[in-house]
Amino acid sequence: MPKVDITVDGRPISVEEGSYVLQAAEALGIDIPTLCFFKYVKPYAACRICVVEARDRRGRTRIVTACNYPASEGIEILTRTPRVVAARRLNLEMLMSRCASMPVLNDLAAKLGIEKPRWGTGTDTCILCGLCVRVCDEIVGAQAIGFASRGAARYVTTPFEVDSEACILCGACAALCPTGHIRMEEAGGREVVHSEITLGPNAAIAVPFRQAVPNAPRIDPEFCVHFRTGGCKVCAAVCPKECISHDDADRTEEFGVGTVVLATGYADLDPAPLKQYGYGRLPNVITSMEFERMNNAAGSTGGRILTERGEEPRTIAILHCIGSRDEDHHPYCSRVCCMYALKFAHLVKEKTSAEVYQLYIDMRAFGKGYEEFFHRILGEGVNVIRGKAAEVVRAGEDCEEGTLLVRCEDTLISKFREIPVDMVVLCTALEAHGDAKEVARRFGISVGADGWFIERHPKLGPVSTTTDGVFLAGGCQSPKDIPDAVAQGSGAAAQAMSLMTRGEVEMDGAYAVIDEEICSGCRLCNDLCPYGAIGFVAERKVSSVNPALCKACGTCAAGCPSGAIRALHFADEQIFAEIEGILS
Amino acid sequence: MQPISSPAELAELRSGIIAARDPNHIWVQLCAGTGCLACGCEPVAAAFRQHIHDQGLEGVVHLKLTGCHGFCERGPLVVIQPQGVFYQRITPEDVGAIVEQTVKHGRVVTKLLYRDPASKTRVEKAEEIPFYKKQVRLVLRSNGLLDPTSLDDYIALGGYAALAKALTMTPEGIVDEVKRSKLRGRGGGGFPTGLKWETCRRAKGEPKYVICNADEGDPGAFMDRSVLEGNPHSVIEGMIIGAYAIGSHEGYVYVRHEYPLAVKHLSIALGQAREAGLLGSDILGSGFGFDIGVSRGGGAFVCGESTALMASLEGKVGEPRAKYVHTVEHGLWDKPSNLNNVETWANIPLIVEHGADWFASIGTEGSKGTKVFALTGKISNTGLVEVPMGITLREILHDIGGGVPGRKKFKAVQTGGPSGGTLIVETRDARIVHSLEEAGEIAPGETVTSLLDLPVDFDELTKAGSMMGSGGMIVMDQDSCMVDVARYFIHFLIEESCGKCLPCREGLRKLHEILERITKGQGEPEDIATLQEIADTLIDTSLCQLGGSAPNPVLSTLRYFRDEYDAHIREKRCPAGVCKDLVGYAVTEACVGDAKCAKVCPTGAISGGPRSLQVIDQAKCIQCDACYQVCTFDAIARVKRDRAEEVQAAAKAAWRPVKERGRAEARA
Repeated sequence: MPKVDITVDGRPISVEEGSYVLQAAEALGIDIPTLCFFKYVKPYAACRICVVEARDRRGRTRIVTACNYPASEGIEILTRTPRVVAARRLNLEMLMSRCASMPVLNDLAAKLGIEKPRWGTGTDTCILCGLCVRVCDEIVGAQAIGFASRGAARYVTTPFEVDSEACILCGACAALCPTGHIRMEEAGGREVVHSEITLGPNAAIAVPFRQAVPNAPRIDPEFCVHFRTGGCKVCAAVCPKECISHDDADRTEEFGVGTVVLATGYADLDPAPLKQYGYGRLPNVITSMEFERMNNAAGSTGGRILTERGEEPRTIAILHCIGSRDEDHHPYCSRVCCMYALKFAHLVKEKTSAEVYQLYIDMRAFGKGYEEFFHRILGEGVNVIRGKAAEVVRAGEDCEEGTLLVRCEDTLISKFREIPVDMVVLCTALEAHGDAKEVARRFGISVGADGWFIERHPKLGPVSTTTDGVFLAGGCQSPKDIPDAVAQGSGAAAQAMSLMTRGEVEMDGAYAVIDEEICSGCRLCNDLCPYGAIGFVAERKVSSVNPALCKACGTCAAGCPSGAIRALHFADEQIFAEIEGILS
Repeated sequence: MQPISSPAELAELRSGIIAARDPNHIWVQLCAGTGCLACGCEPVAAAFRQHIHDQGLEGVVHLKLTGCHGFCERGPLVVIQPQGVFYQRITPEDVGAIVEQTVKHGRVVTKLLYRDPASKTRVEKAEEIPFYKKQVRLVLRSNGLLDPTSLDDYIALGGYAALAKALTMTPEGIVDEVKRSKLRGRGGGGFPTGLKWETCRRAKGEPKYVICNADEGDPGAFMDRSVLEGNPHSVIEGMIIGAYAIGSHEGYVYVRHEYPLAVKHLSIALGQAREAGLLGSDILGSGFGFDIGVSRGGGAFVCGESTALMASLEGKVGEPRAKYVHTVEHGLWDKPSNLNNVETWANIPLIVEHGADWFASIGTEGSKGTKVFALTGKISNTGLVEVPMGITLREILHDIGGGVPGRKKFKAVQTGGPSGGTLIVETRDARIVHSLEEAGEIAPGETVTSLLDLPVDFDELTKAGSMMGSGGMIVMDQDSCMVDVARYFIHFLIEESCGKCLPCREGLRKLHEILERITKGQGEPEDIATLQEIADTLIDTSLCQLGGSAPNPVLSTLRYFRDEYDAHIREKRCPAGVCKDLVGYAVTEACVGDAKCAKVCPTGAISGGPRSLQVIDQAKCIQCDACYQVCTFDAIARVKRDRAEEVQAAAKAAWRPVKERGRAEARA
């Protein structure tokens, strides 16, 4: 488009021919008020508040709307002449006489110097700017709302006034409505996506949660208008750095690596099967992870500790060893619970005036400074009871509704106790992921009976595995707290680095080889190899040994039904020769 | 029918049709236009068929149902050709006499002829009737002569000759011809047609569309309807020529769904034109292709606005958009589109056939040709009239229209539809002259008594505060209250405003509120200034011309009838006695005691008994006006509400029975 020179209030500017006067004024920082303009939909020119005087080169002056008046060479725009101001005022006063007193109108009235609209105010909360209708049509492409009736009786509604399936519940209309006339409501069993009360992201494009990694917005295709209608893409239009692409898709990539650090973490035990604690059945019985989330400033309660009713609890019981040190679940100690339970007690004391009870088997404050922390908590007036909680029940009628009773044996004084509390926090066991065995198999490493990956040697090789180049870090190996996980991670990274900087692997002379002439391609050896060193070569339909991974254990050679595998330096002749040598 | 493949074949066909018609045959041309249909022309047609059949005249006498003859007031109308005898207000009972006398023996049935009220003589031929005498019927020329469903009739009258001629011209030549004719759009805006065509022809973009605006929505207007119903081929011919000149191959007629007969006749005509090769791929063997589709509107007044019409044609809601980008460049489906009104299109064949110079010789400097008006309201000769531009209002209203019926006085004429203006036509008192002086309309001392001598053309009407519009002309007499008239038209526009832009939607509502208050006697002196202010803002800031011209009824009545506003506001009085909240009814001493009023009174408010003075019980009176309408002695007075009792008391004191009155008068 060629450029044309125009002036706005006497200030010259060069703009694209046919671009709108409003944009030119905006570029000059000249404010032209409007009620129906939105950058990403076509100008509609309905509110007539953005009127300005335009003088063409022939000297003819007329009132035009800035939002859709195209710039042409030499036009002069005047935005504040008495004629313009009078028209804006009168139009607004007439609109106000129809509409209820609303900020969007009152603010504009103040801007235009209207102290009191001469016909007062009415009751309508819709100003008929049409933004909702246009965004639904032009951007969303759903055309689920429109104008009904004519003239003064005009109003916005759905086709035939019924809840329409055409509405995709995107909420764009409500978001754009300058007066709040449009609300989102659940109707006909359809869930509102963008209700403000949902805990999750309330837009199709959002940072998934605060402190997310990576801390960047992502598009949820399920809710994104573009993926439903092919339209919209307003986010891409808004982004100044052109970071948004709607064409990106999830994809699987394959690439070769020399080392692998397994840091798949741990899982939380689901306490629901431990019926005695009432998780999922009784209100205000929550897991430690849920309590942690509640304490987070970015969490659902904004960091406040609240019961389901939204009140601050007066007493909280923290139950240790839920599923840990328990013959029926996990015999091991989850290692981190005691300390975070103490931290919880500390947080509760800091944030509320609640009474805290800790019900423990043994207080395992094993690390540096841990024991001191325990003593500090005792000093804060936390009640520690040695004795595992037996059950949590609803309190009887003599207690306030919603109160829970925690039953336990206080082993130090040999008494059964019933403690009435408002909230129970279950310190659930750390356990291995359900698919840990499958992961271990893929990486050719060992896994224990309880699902934790096994390191090569508990003392001499705590981060490496039986497979060369595969290392362990963090909770996938065993329950551990943050300092231990970080330390192990650093170790694993260092070992991986040392392998990588060497650039090549030194091999033993002894490894298995397969005679391809004899190999039948039965692939028995593939599964037999404990180190995952044997693979199948599809092109030649034979198995093949990766000598870098082979530990020359001989399992494959012994198991091969065709006798095609031979361990170098361990040929039958050599073994027999060795035996003969010993015997001779 | 074989498609006509060349102009020569068309001429051949025409002479064939004419030759085949026996000059001794008699044609009964019965008007079957909308007005005459309403007056009952169908039973008349049936009676003609019956009589022709009974008398064994089939094959010699032909009944032809034609389009509107224009003189709707006197319908049903029939013309017997070739004598050209014009009969009016005929009933099925009259048909026997007509067939027996005129058809069989060539004698005239005098009692069915039109009686000229001025000369009090019976007139035999249509052209001798004052109603037709001053008209120049070009667009309506063939309406009464042809059967709208017969292509033969149209061709016999020279139809499609203009098309044949146009196809031998260059498109630029036609545009130039239309430009030189100075034809202006008949839909209301008065934009030069040739200029519009030229811009559209030059506009970039394909395809181009030509559209015919037949969404005639003004109350009381039926010009376009009559042309489409009575002579659809003339519109089609005009559109084909226009399409050829502009370079379009696709056209649409946007016609009101409320005009079923127009839709029917148009569709029949389109079918005939296609069959005859006048529409389609190779028109008259010229290689030029064009066809026309019909789109029926849903009855929104605003869809007569060009951009709203195009939105509606596209299947969207009929709402206007800003016209900063013209429709000739970006119109229907964003393509160059040329929209003209029915009457404009119907003028085109005339211009092409007779030349621009001939056309430009009719009318005034700025407005050429003729204009069709629908003359309605308080006028003797209601009907469709076509007059040359520049004719005076006096000629239209008095000579053609025959003046106001009864003893009532002319007061005003409203032109240009709801958003046109109301013009003063009769002498007003000194106060109005004063207000015109104040407004700077006239020099002090100059006497303005009447706009009756105003030449009717685009510019003069606009200057006078009204507009040509599409041609509605509503006459009002002394019984019309001008504030109420303004209120009525504003109310119409509120209903018809699309509601898209704020000033039109809210401003009209506000204007109506104020006018309604004034007619209820609750007006405040500052209301006049507020009306003016809102009107100015509407004109300045409305999105389309519906809103831009909507204040005209208010502004024009304010300009010419300011005294009536003042009477309502200051004196709480309605001079015309129309505004129910202000008016009271009183029986005056003129009462003869026939008690007609008491019989029609719906609330039984009138009592008095026979041959005595009637009295209206003001508590029961609902101001329905029934007594006023029924009294033949003008004995019911519309007075200011609070004066009704007083007037009746005075009447009681002065009243004498009719018998005594005669004696007293005789003595005097």
